[in-house]
Parts: sequence; C-alpha cells; structure tokens
Amino acid sequence: MGGGTAGWMTAAALANRLAGLGVAIRLVESAEIGTVGVGEATLPHIRAFNTTLGIAEPELMRATEATYKLGIEFCDWGRIGDRYIHPFGNYGPSDDGIPFYHQWLRLRALGDPGRLDDYSYPVIAAEANRFRHPAATPGRVESSFGYAYQFDASLYAAFLRRYAEARGVERVEGKVVDVALDGERGDVRHATLEDGRTLAAELFVDCSGFRGLLIGQALGSGYDDWSRWLPCNRAVAVPTDSKGPLGPYTRATARTAGWQWRIPLQHRVGNGHVYCSDFISDDDAEAQLVANLDAPMQADPRRLRFTTGRRQDFWKRNVVAIGLSSGFLEPLESTSIHLIQDGITELLALFPTRAFDAGDIGEYNRRMALHFERVRDFLLLHYVATQRDDSPMWRHFRALTLPDSLRHKIDAWLSRGYVVPYEFGLFLPPSWVAVMLGQGLVPRGHDPRVRASDDAVLAARAATLRAEVAAAVQATPDHADYIRQSPAAAGLGVA
Amino acid sequence: MAVRRILVCGDGLAAQMALTALARQVAPDTAILWVRAGDQRDGDLLYGSVTGPSAYGFNLAAGVDERQLVLGSDAAFSWGTRYAAWGAGRSWMQAFALPFPVIDGVVFHQYLARTGAGGIDPYVAGLQAARRGVFVHPPREAGGQHPLARAEYGYQVDPADYAALFAAARPADRVEVVEGAFAGAEVAGGRIAGIRLDDGRMVTADLYIDASGPAAVLGSGAPDGRRIGMAVRNEAGADEAPLRTVTATALGWQSATPLKGRTLHASVYAPDRPDEGALGRRVEATLGRRAQPWVGNCVAIGQAAGVVEPLTPAPMLLLERDIERLLSLIPVTDDCAVEAAEYNRRFADDYDHADLFQRAFFAVDGLPDGPYWDAARAEQVPEKLARKISLFGNRGLLVAYDLEPFHPEDWIILHLGMGRRPRRYDRLADRADKAQVAQFLTGMAREIERAVETLPPARVYRQQLEQFLRKAAS
Repeated sequence: MGGGTAGWMTAAALANRLAGLGVAIRLVESAEIGTVGVGEATLPHIRAFNTTLGIAEPELMRATEATYKLGIEFCDWGRIGDRYIHPFGNYGPSDDGIPFYHQWLRLRALGDPGRLDDYSYPVIAAEANRFRHPAATPGRVESSFGYAYQFDASLYAAFLRRYAEARGVERVEGKVVDVALDGERGDVRHATLEDGRTLAAELFVDCSGFRGLLIGQALGSGYDDWSRWLPCNRAVAVPTDSKGPLGPYTRATARTAGWQWRIPLQHRVGNGHVYCSDFISDDDAEAQLVANLDAPMQADPRRLRFTTGRRQDFWKRNVVAIGLSSGFLEPLESTSIHLIQDGITELLALFPTRAFDAGDIGEYNRRMALHFERVRDFLLLHYVATQRDDSPMWRHFRALTLPDSLRHKIDAWLSRGYVVPYEFGLFLPPSWVAVMLGQGLVPRGHDPRVRASDDAVLAARAATLRAEVAAAVQATPDHADYIRQSPAAAGLGVA
Repeated sequence: MAVRRILVCGDGLAAQMALTALARQVAPDTAILWVRAGDQRDGDLLYGSVTGPSAYGFNLAAGVDERQLVLGSDAAFSWGTRYAAWGAGRSWMQAFALPFPVIDGVVFHQYLARTGAGGIDPYVAGLQAARRGVFVHPPREAGGQHPLARAEYGYQVDPADYAALFAAARPADRVEVVEGAFAGAEVAGGRIAGIRLDDGRMVTADLYIDASGPAAVLGSGAPDGRRIGMAVRNEAGADEAPLRTVTATALGWQSATPLKGRTLHASVYAPDRPDEGALGRRVEATLGRRAQPWVGNCVAIGQAAGVVEPLTPAPMLLLERDIERLLSLIPVTDDCAVEAAEYNRRFADDYDHADLFQRAFFAVDGLPDGPYWDAARAEQVPEKLARKISLFGNRGLLVAYDLEPFHPEDWIILHLGMGRRPRRYDRLADRADKAQVAQFLTGMAREIERAVETLPPARVYRQQLEQFLRKAAS
C-alpha cells in the first residue's frame, strides 16, 4: 500500500526473494499523492540489499544520479566552528582486542599524535574529495572501510519499480478511500479505491507514509511519540545546482533550531533544514535555509511535517508497516532508508503463513523496536554532546534528562574511553567514537592496558600508520573524476 | 588516580586464571598481589571439566598458548559433550561448531527441515569425529573448503590441573605472593580498606579481586537458587576420547570426562537425596548469581560472583568472561562507579544468557522424577527462553540477544538434539531445487565422513603432537 522508496524497495525485494513461491504481489499507489523522498543519503548496508537483488552498481548509480559516500561531515555540532567526519570504517587496527584509539589517547597524553582522523583512510580521503573502491588486499588501510551512495531517492524508487514490474509485481494506480476489516478477526480484508475497485490480499504492507493508512488509521496501532528526546518536527527541502568539488560525503550543519543537510548527487545537490517548530517559524526556517545555500535553487522549497517516534506495533494482524508509516527518525545519520531495509529483512525472516502466528509477529515487533530505539539514542547523542547554548533549542537539550542507556554510555566514554557494546544495533563502536570525539567529548582516561606497551613503540607504530593513510589517500583518484570515467556516470558525464 | 596495586584473594582456579591474565595484560608499573584465602580445591570441581572453544583465545591472551597446555597439563582435546538418556530416550552430541553455511540467504538448518532430514548430526564435522574418537586441529586454510573447516574444539580439563597450568605459565616475579592466610577484610564507607592476615598484618591495594569461591570472603548477598551436590573421582584410563559424556540418572546426572591417562567421573544430585553410590570428593553449592558482583573497589569473579551447574561449559565460559570483563575495566578513577555499573550490567547479561542455555535442558518432557529433577523443573522458564523455544518450534527461527555466551550454532544443535523440530520451515528454502538440496546435503555428509575416516585417534594425535613439541623445544 503506497509506492515511494519504502513501497518499491519492499515490492522489489519480495518479488526477488519470493520468486517462484506462488506469491502474487500488487502495489497500489496514486500519482496524485506525492512521496516524501527525503533520505537521499544511505548507509553501506544498502549495497547488500542491491547485491541480493542482483543489481549492478554502475547501473544503479547511472539510474539514480548517485555519488559515492564515505561518511557524514558534521559542522558546528560540538561548538560553532567545529567539524568532523563520521566515516564508514574503523580508526586503526585493534591490538590484543584493545581498539587503536586507546593508544591514540595514550599518545595524546604524552605529546601530539595528530587527530584520530589521521588514522582513518575514509576520513582523509573524504576531506580530500577522493574516492576509490576498497582494495581487495586485506590488512591495508585502503581495504578497511565501507562506502554507501548519495542518490535521488525518487529515481531509486522508479528504478526499483521497473525492476519489480519486470518481475511480476502488478502496479495499481488509484487512491485508497476506504479499508474494510474482517468482522470476526479484525484483519484488513480489502482496500477500496476511489473508482470503486476493491483490492483484497492476505498480507498488507503499509507503505502509505506518515499517515499509516492501514497500521494506524484502520488497525489503531498507536504511536510512541519521542519528541521529548528528539523535538525536531519539520523540514524544508530544496535542490540546488552543483558547485565546487564533489564531496564523497554528506554534510549536516547544526543551526539554532535544528540542522541543515547537504547531499551532493551527480546532477544536483539536495539541501534541507530540519527544525523544531517550538523554536523557529516555518518562514524563518526557510529563510535560514535559503540564506545558507551555496548555489542557485532549482525549485521552490518544499515543506514537511513529522513526529519523531515509532509505531507501538509495527506488525499488527495482517498488516506490516514499513517506511514512514512505521516511525520516523530525522535523517541526521542517513537511517531512513536503512530502517526500511531492516523492516524488509525482518519481514522476510518472519514471512507469515495465513495463520499469522502471534509469536512471529511479537518477534518482528521486538526486533524493530530495538532497531529504532538504538538509532534514537545515537541521534540524541549528537544533540547532547555539545557545549552549545546559543539558542533556546540548545538550552533545551542541556536541561534534558537522557535515557539511562545513553547516560551510561556517555559516562563510560568520558571516564575511560570505553564504548558500551551491544550486538544488535546499527551503529557499532567506531561510530560512537567518531561522534563522541568529534563533538568534543574527550575521555579523561583510557584503557590502562595500553601502558603495558612501550610508549616509543606505540608512537612509532602510530606514525607509520598515519603515513600509510596519507600515502594511500595520495594515490586515490578525485571522486568526480572516478565517477566520470566509469560506467556509473550519469549527470556528471555530460557536465 | 590510576590503579597501581591489584590484590587477588583466593586459592583456586579463578585466582590462578585471573593472576596470570593480569600478569600478562596490566602495565608493569601496577603491582599484582596475591593473598591465599580459603581452600577452593573442592569447590573448583563445580567449574566442571570442559571448556568451550573460547578457551583457546582466552588462554593465549593470558600468555598460556596451546603448546603449554599440551605439554604441561592433563587436558585433552574436546569436540563437545554427548548427552545420553536425557528423558524419553533422548541422546545427542552437543558438539562445538563454527557457523553453518548460509545458502542463498537461508540458514543451513532450514534446508534440513525442508528435506525432512531431521537431525543435523551428519553435517557437524566435530560430531562425526567425536563419534569415531578421532581428532585433528580443524584445518582453517584452503578458504574454508576442507570438510573439517567448520569444526570447533575446546578442552577437557581437571580444574586443579588446569589451575596449575595457569600458575606455571606466568613469570614468577610478576606476582607478589603475600605470605600468611586471609583472616578478614577491613571495610570503611562501602569500600575495602585492607585485608587482615592471620598474623595480624594488613595488606592494602587499590583494587581487590575476590576469587575465593562461593564463600566470597570479600562480598555479601549470596545467591539463593537451588542447591546441588557433586561427587568427583578419578579413574585410570588411556582412552582419551575427545568428548565428555553426560548421562541422566534418577538422582541427577553423571559425567565421564577423558583426560590424558585418566578419566574424571562426576555425579551431580540434589543434596537432600545424594547419590550414595558415587565415590570421591564431595561438594555442595547453592546455584545463582549475585546482584552486584562489583561494589566499591572490590570485584567478585567466578564462583564468588555466581555458581553455575557444570552441565555445559557455562561455568568456564562465565569465568573467562568475568576475567575479560574485569581486564577491560581496570579502573581509572577512585570511585570505580562507571566500571562497577558496566561490569555488573554485563555480568548479569552474560550469566542470565548462559542460564537460558542451561535451563533449556530441563524444558523437555520425559525427564525422571525425583528431588534433583523436580527442583530443576520447578524453576520458571524465563520469557527470553520461552521465546527461543517457541520460535524455533514454529519455524526454526533463532531468537538471539546481545552478546550471548552460547552461539546460534550451539542453540541449533541443542534444539535439534533435544528433538525439537520446527513445525514448518522458512519458505525461502523452497527457492532451491529439492533434488539439488538433497544432493548438496548428501555430498556434505559424505565428505565429512570420508575426512574423519582417515583421522588418528585423539590419544595418538595428542601423543604425536606432544613428541613433536618436545623435540621442537629441545
């Protein structure tokens, strides 16, 4: 139910994975209802999604005007004037199970080992606007990183639509005006379109966006409102011309009442301002965005509203919510498309029979709740790991009581550079290190076991590693050239 | 202030493993002191006689490499444990294994369910090797293509002998042995101010590690689970089979663990109805864990933190994890608040997750009646375990929680071994051609069978390895 990125990703994945198993897939969407299409930046996991579908990278990149992404640059978060890159990769190799950054913290207490960034190939390459695919040789700095794409999500949906339709997905054009429930079981029986047609199914995937036509309106699955932690509730988006070097990274710049994104694609740059309506008016938010663009606008700014949170039941009866109908977390860490992917992966892992087992549904809901909650804590970290108090929004965060899990995580980091681990969550320890350190949370201590090594040996090893990173980046081509000279070139090729 | 003096209190396996790991990993400017407290020789029997595959890495990080183990202990290689007569004629081999292959995005056991093959035994290389009593180190090279590449092994050990191995492996001068015996602890403001010795002297440190067994001489708040008794004796024997056997009896269970040149026999029972026929040293304990093993400047590890029935490698896994957790949290501040909170959180998770695995052994029908079994069954099935069992039963789905000590492979082998069969399989397994799946499975089983046919008995392999190592050392 619903096209857009969520609808077509789901349809394409189900068409691929359920091929030959006797499952008919129909997607209903209305050309009149616009798609939201934010979330143009992705995470490395999307490559596995595309690979499973048998989609070749150059074809995908051409079709979606995609560029490569090595991470996200955060500006003005810890303090105005600060900047750091959260890369897809680790900082240096672990030593006896102790992450490298502990050595760096030790060396920092003794002298100047440079930035931790200097030990990260993807950070240094991103800063230099360079890109290459990870080398196949394990153990080298230029092989130990991940990458994702920055693309046009509407083009991605269109690409997947062609893919899905070619594999038997039936697309129905029409606007749903009514939903009929089964009187006895309370399941969704069919949807009625404006022209009177009815669409029946055994399983409905609700990709209808924020309104949650089936999961919320028809089945009454409630919504956990997380605004007390993440109060941003509006966005205004506008595309601009490309200007300057093509960065292999997305930029997120903190503002007084929210933050601004900048996502460079081949043919244009996506921009937007996510903000909290308690702290700024829509007009001022738009004015702030327009004033901070670095190139001419290609269209009028478009406004969006949302409430951060998640569905209490992502899956209820015979309806599974995927995409914005399942919840919303601001795209500060490019998680929107990833949460769609999680929803699809878990749906396939727990694909139902007609009996709709309550245990399976409960497990789906448990897994998705964990995915959402762990992303939420990570996003909130960005707002609270800061010295900013220059506006009501930043003062609001200063006064905020954090979830216990996040409080403990920050305390453990500040005390000794310890990252509280978990297994089932999107953001692994290097991501937490990147943001905490990048936003000025410098640990007071480090793992005392690094003192078991000779300081001079640590310093020499660190110097070698920095030199390796610098040399590897020197040998890395310019990002724009790399795309232009490859079969991935689309908008860039004709420029 | 950084920790510069660490004092370990105890005289058994936990103390020896902790001392050796500390000696290897903490900076040389930190003193390591050892105060013998109590006598854990009998209590240590409750650590059981098997380690998991994690022992290899733990030992290496503590400076005990496998060559030392082969040359300097009675330990034997172990493919796992065979459980027999576990209710309703149930018997299975709980072998260690690396993850099974994932084919076309679908996990291996779903194909088994699809073909109705039932058990997983023919596809677990270690299990097949154990059946024949043979052993080699699993070949990891050749891109994992060798039929035994996914086999995994642990060790069969005598806790006292294993403790001696650790004691011998650290540099003699690295640990300062405090002469005299523990008499008591001075406590002030919720922290340990010092350890009083029997001659009246006081020893102080920045961090105290309580490795004194269930008595937990530095701790408080004992566990309150069910009680078990255990009797253990040695028998000579040159069998050295690379597996432990555990057999359910009316009174509890009995195990036989082949070691180098002998076999360790154990009986576990309910103390109010002991196994009178069992010979050897006897020990009793209350199972369960402390709520707060780390309080102030004192950390409890091993049985001082929680006592676990040695039905699986869980007691050894948890002891390893206690020490690893402690090493990653050697305090950097005086109040140890962050370290204690994190240690206690992870301890509770590890212990409770290991407990899920052990409790699963009692969540089946057909087990004997009697005090031991009644007490074990009377414990409520935790919701987390109920979910694991029910979803596996439904569709072979593995429910997993953060950083469990037992891995998905362990759970698959356990579920299937105990006779749980998914009512239906993952539909995605139908993507593959049925004949091809059957052919693949047959081929895999045949390759494993062929590979294990040619292997030497575990005893012979060990003897040859020992000879080789002695020659290399001389």
